[in-house]
Amino acid sequence: MMRETTLDKARLAAFADGELSPEEAAAVVMHLADHPEDQAFVDDLMAANAALIRAFDAPMTAPVPPAILAVIDGQQARAKVVSFPGRRAFALAGVALAASVALAVVLVPGPRPSGLTVGPVAQGQVLHDLLQSLPSGQTVPLTAAQDLTILATLPTTAGHCREVEVIDRAAGRLDMALACTADAGWRVDVVLSEPLPDTPPDQAYVPAGGIETEALTLWLDRLGAGMALDAATEAGMIARGWVR
Amino acid sequence: MNGQRPDTFRRDLVALVPKLRRFALSLTGNMPDADDLVQAACEKALRNVAQFVPGTRMDSWMYRIVQTLWLDDRRKLTRRGASVDPDDVHLSDEGKAASLPEDRMMLAQTRAAMLDLPRGQREVLALVAIEGLSYREAAETLDVPVGTVMSRLSRAREALLPKLVLSQGRRQ
Repeated sequence: MMRETTLDKARLAAFADGELSPEEAAAVVMHLADHPEDQAFVDDLMAANAALIRAFDAPMTAPVPPAILAVIDGQQARAKVVSFPGRRAFALAGVALAASVALAVVLVPGPRPSGLTVGPVAQGQVLHDLLQSLPSGQTVPLTAAQDLTILATLPTTAGHCREVEVIDRAAGRLDMALACTADAGWRVDVVLSEPLPDTPPDQAYVPAGGIETEALTLWLDRLGAGMALDAATEAGMIARGWVR
Repeated sequence: MNGQRPDTFRRDLVALVPKLRRFALSLTGNMPDADDLVQAACEKALRNVAQFVPGTRMDSWMYRIVQTLWLDDRRKLTRRGASVDPDDVHLSDEGKAASLPEDRMMLAQTRAAMLDLPRGQREVLALVAIEGLSYREAAETLDVPVGTVMSRLSRAREALLPKLVLSQGRRQ
């Protein structure tokens, strides 16, 4: 039965992209009601369009960079030549960036009982061993009241960073840190802290607050972090001692 | 200036920058290169402002400048023997798009899938799916026939959809 089994995919794409006249679109809508395969294809197209918009939408809510404004205002002679692959230009070093992050969350100033302290992680520290060998998603107890979880590993321009979360039930606090490979070891770049929400004592997992996650995301973006490593890739890095 | 006041052109250009940065980001895959591209495009636009016809779509005109500069740059790199490896392209959403790890993963996969596409398909998909241009507008921006836009779009989606469906786990 060849009659009207499916519509041409180009026509379905044109429908999803808003290329059809109202009459043509109405006819497609009628067709889709009786053809779930075509409806699924249109759903996929629309989902893909929405995902693409979200994936690249960050500039739409960001301020215009001063360098571009200066060019438009005629205050700067020439833009740099574009080069590939991506060159990073992280003007924000630790202190300046810390200041900006501290606007949103509490930036932990001193050593923490959890061991999450900004600076190099000495070999022999528990944290060093965990950063070296603990797969993401696994939780290990540091003390009776403290649990550490590495949430994810992300590649950066300089190596890798691992998102570390420590829940301190006794102190009622959640620390979140970003530890990155540096000089054949690890360095904690930032530690953020927020009060732990009221949680039943037997609840194993306490999600980080949105503000903290967003603040860490800022750091990750500054570091050029890509997508989180999958388990196999991460296991490979652990096996190689984080040597790329 | 073809009758258009310079300050009006500059003001309109500033208003367009977010969309130009988004388009450039979808081409380059990272914000620093996207910003360099947009900066260079703004310079070029201001140098050639006499060629802009007031009353026509300034966004399409600017998209074309961005696309041309990007293409020029890739050609230079090709002559030098460089290549763009998606694995080497660093991705950024400036922290705006996702905060949950799985959401970040999904969006990163979407960006990676986009960067895996050949240049021509990526340009068309960016203009139509992200920038919302019609097929005809995309064709005029890229100076190709509408049929070429449609065929590139079709091939781009053939490559992209399986990756996105896998990442979203949406279809049953």
